[in-house]
Amino acid sequence: MILTAAIGLPLAGALTLAAIPRWREAAARRFATAVALLSLLCLVLAWRRFTPDGALFQLVEEVPWVPGLGMAWRLGVDGIALAVASMSALVFAASILYPADTRHRAAPYYAWMLFLQGVSLGVFLALDLLLFYVFFDLSLVGMFFLIGRWGHGQSQRSALKFFLYTFCGSLLMLLAFIGLYLSVTPHSFDMRVLIAEQPMVGSAIPAGLVFLGLMIGLAIKTPLVPFHTWLPQAHVDAPAPASAILAGVLLKMGTFGMLRIPFAMMRETFAAYAWVIALVAVISILYGASLALGQHNLKRRIAYTSINHMGYTVLGIAVAGALLSGNEAARQLALVGATVEMVAHGLITGSLFLICGSFWQRTGEYEMAQFGGLAKPAPLLTGFSVLAAFASLGLPGLAGFVAEFHVFAGTFSVYPWLAVIGIFGILITAALFLLTLQQLFFGALPEKWSGLPDLGGREKLVLGVLAAAFVVIGIAPQFLLTVIEASAGWLVDPR
Amino acid sequence: MLWLVPLLPLLAAPVLYGLLRGGRPAPLGWVGAAIALGTLVLALAAVMGDWNGSYRWSAQLQLGLGMSSAGIVFALVVPLVAAPIVLYSAYHEAQTSSGRSLARLIALLLAFVGAMLMLVLASDLLTLLIAWELVGALSWALIAHHWPSERSVRDAAWAFLVTRFGDLGLYVAAGAAFAGSGSFDFAGLGRLDGMPLQVFVGGIVLACAAKSAQLPFSPWLFAAMSGPTPVSALLHAATMVAAGVYLIIRLHPVLDSVAWFAPLAMALGLASAMGGGIVASLQGHAKKLLAASTSAHYGLMWLAVGAGFPGAALLHFVTHALFKAGLFLAVGIAEHHVGSYSLGRMRLGRQLPGVALATLACSLALAGVPPLGGAWSKEQLIASSGHQGLSILAMALLAGALSALYATRLQWLAFGPGEPASAATSRSRPSPAERLALYLLALGTLGLSLLWWPGLGESIAESLGFALPPAKAWESLLSLASVALGMLLAALALRRRWGNRDEENPRHAAASDWLGIPALAGRTASGLMRVSHALAGFDDRVVDAVLQRIAGYGGFAKALGGFDDRAVDGGVRLTARFGHWLAITGDRSGEALFDGSAMRLARFTGWLGQKARQLQTGQMHHYYTAIAAGLAAVLIILAMGELP
Repeated sequence: MILTAAIGLPLAGALTLAAIPRWREAAARRFATAVALLSLLCLVLAWRRFTPDGALFQLVEEVPWVPGLGMAWRLGVDGIALAVASMSALVFAASILYPADTRHRAAPYYAWMLFLQGVSLGVFLALDLLLFYVFFDLSLVGMFFLIGRWGHGQSQRSALKFFLYTFCGSLLMLLAFIGLYLSVTPHSFDMRVLIAEQPMVGSAIPAGLVFLGLMIGLAIKTPLVPFHTWLPQAHVDAPAPASAILAGVLLKMGTFGMLRIPFAMMRETFAAYAWVIALVAVISILYGASLALGQHNLKRRIAYTSINHMGYTVLGIAVAGALLSGNEAARQLALVGATVEMVAHGLITGSLFLICGSFWQRTGEYEMAQFGGLAKPAPLLTGFSVLAAFASLGLPGLAGFVAEFHVFAGTFSVYPWLAVIGIFGILITAALFLLTLQQLFFGALPEKWSGLPDLGGREKLVLGVLAAAFVVIGIAPQFLLTVIEASAGWLVDPR
Repeated sequence: MLWLVPLLPLLAAPVLYGLLRGGRPAPLGWVGAAIALGTLVLALAAVMGDWNGSYRWSAQLQLGLGMSSAGIVFALVVPLVAAPIVLYSAYHEAQTSSGRSLARLIALLLAFVGAMLMLVLASDLLTLLIAWELVGALSWALIAHHWPSERSVRDAAWAFLVTRFGDLGLYVAAGAAFAGSGSFDFAGLGRLDGMPLQVFVGGIVLACAAKSAQLPFSPWLFAAMSGPTPVSALLHAATMVAAGVYLIIRLHPVLDSVAWFAPLAMALGLASAMGGGIVASLQGHAKKLLAASTSAHYGLMWLAVGAGFPGAALLHFVTHALFKAGLFLAVGIAEHHVGSYSLGRMRLGRQLPGVALATLACSLALAGVPPLGGAWSKEQLIASSGHQGLSILAMALLAGALSALYATRLQWLAFGPGEPASAATSRSRPSPAERLALYLLALGTLGLSLLWWPGLGESIAESLGFALPPAKAWESLLSLASVALGMLLAALALRRRWGNRDEENPRHAAASDWLGIPALAGRTASGLMRVSHALAGFDDRVVDAVLQRIAGYGGFAKALGGFDDRAVDGGVRLTARFGHWLAITGDRSGEALFDGSAMRLARFTGWLGQKARQLQTGQMHHYYTAIAAGLAAVLIILAMGELP
């Protein structure tokens, strides 16, 4: 019941906010934060009940829903889902609490946020393909309205582009789901059945097509080059907390989906195509980083770094699935790295986008050339930005390093050349973040920003909690690695 | 237990910053120095007790610390040198930094000591990599200490990026070690062979050459000179730059199992020693002269390691750390006195006789004049090179002569007798604490003269498990002659005013600025920036546009198909949801959006019709071509899966 509660509480909260008229802004925010934290609490409890040595999927809940179709309300977690879902809930709580301009429509804003939280957690906790699909698509709806109604600039256009683009991807995915559904007898959407049966073994062409549909659909969401162009536009025009969620949570649905569906259910096909995926991942790593370096707009720059970081995750997944047997230690290392990267990227890039929000609220400006010397009026903002930037460029002692080290060390054993080429990504990221810091916070302070207010109480709290999370993962990641390692070991070497 | 050694300064740093944010020099300096000394005592206890430590991250990853002979020496020297430098910083930098800024500087210096200790005590590649990158980041923060100056922030970024380029080598080496031996432990490196071993050694050499400012990476050390002087003394002369040499000493048995390591190390070392010597002989900026000489001396240590005598390099690291740190502190005092690092404006021998005398001890050690310890350890380096043949010995001797040349130049121009050329003298007298720090380092340098005591150096090396090269009398004589020659040349150079005497280096501009490498690197960097900007434009204009066209066409067709499937398979619920979505769109987003979508849809339908009409040419071969193209695309995609 605990997983249903984690999904149901925010959904019920969203309904409450929508149903009761005339919420005061602060009351709506407090209510939404409390609900988001309760949902997080449910996942923490789930974490306590999870035993790393146990079965792959635990805390399973199953209620028949459309028995004729083989669809049911099936929820459950492995270590990877648990880690990603808990991170998501934390990012949601942080984004909800963070100051935002709700334009006097606080109740619908927080309602959409909670709705999005519920369906996003649903994606990570679902053990039923159709349920996964429904949650996956509903998350688009939630994000569509957040960008369209509370964004700035050409927000409606961006929202529509985001929606249509990712919707196309999810339709491709639906076709592939149906292919998977039809390939088992009796037909079923149960993920556990599909993982155990490996249904498409020995049928090259249908398997290839189903795989292609799944991978394109998920690559759009991740996004991998060349399906990434919806991302920067959506980020620039989205309100900052929605950006934090888009980067921190929604992008993970792509990589999480890859891991849960093609990786786990079509091991043979995945192994055959793994080198293509790894190659695309390395291209994304380098291309995303170079593009980020070429931007003048703060938010666009951070948006492009997401493409780079998600590239590390996909590289790790591709390496882990590259072989059906052999090299288990290295592949497990890569898969653990991919998962830690999802968690780390959510926390770090979430913080960076929230920091962008602070910039927007104070100045209404994202052009980096307009800034300089902000360390003087806003030392705390500077401190948190420096910490998040160094975390994002993979400095040891912070979460990003743990992830990238795992991924590269694992990749080296399987695809040494790709590892050597891909490692240049961390150099370009270092360059772009140092340039960003230099441009924003150091050097001469323009007159107009001399009175820039430093972080407020809520901003301090939220950024402090997120920073604490990625520092703890960077120094003492045992609690996370133990949980992930059990599932990763199972996935690279099914017993 | 061993974790305590790096953790003490690492944890003390934030506490110190929290408690002493007021930034008064006296408590900051003395408490900071006391923490460094406390760390030294702890390190000593660790050496006596042979402590070790491990920290488990996961079943696969374990961070480990342990003792090694090179590690012991470094672990003792780092806090020992740090203590006077921290004391000096608090007083020296109080003139330009105040309050929190000063407290931040001291805290970062202490944190650096911790990270550096972790580096030299690491017993596996993961721990090493963590510390290796941490010291790089701390170096960034320390160089950028005066952040309102855009120049120092830019130089800090440059220094960080060049060394991080080297760090990539360490990542690759760690990957190769895991691929070859199944673990990251130094203990397992013996199992490496074949390709992983080659890659491992290549990665380590790259990382170490970048860190210890060997050619072609040497210029980053010039950029690092934008930082405060004590930072240059501790990080960019005595300790952090030494990390590269530390690692090749530590891993020498593994590295040496690859045939090309020894020649490569010797070539890199000699090139840097000679290049650094020439650059330092021409420099007019006092700190940059010292920076070039740092590259040169680490080059000589590389040479010794390549020649097969890591013990000689290790002992020279100790003497170099003391006299080079002392020289930096002296130059910092001179700069405060005249307001510039220009050698031509100093000549402070009469005004600061005590400082000049202390500096003289350090300069003589740098030049390699007996009976100073620096001369003894340099003789070991020369003897090591003599082991590899006469031509190498000759080049090493030349590098030694250059060392004597620039050391003499520095001492004469900065602290020689005569009147300062600058009118703006006596801006400030050095505080007693600054003098004390310098005197302590000079005393240490003098004390190391004991190394000339017959048999003492050999027995120290032996107790550490290293062999020193056998001394040959004629080599020592030749070496002394080269030192004398260098000093003579210096006298000539000073009289004829060769080389530069001000910071801008108007003469031999390229040669005195690291032989023109920075200009080349700068052009490469701006070229890369331009590529990034071009790519960004390409991404917006081409990739996005193409995909929008494809998506507009294919995506919608699929969307319609997908809707059909949903309606059939998904049942009532999905249809209801779609309806709900439409209703929400209409309701919440208002007429405008809906109208817009409708207009889009209408335009799109018209366009689709037009395209469809164009496609229907009626000619069979067009259809066949289209079908064949589609089929080929599918087959290619499927065939990719059959490849390896």
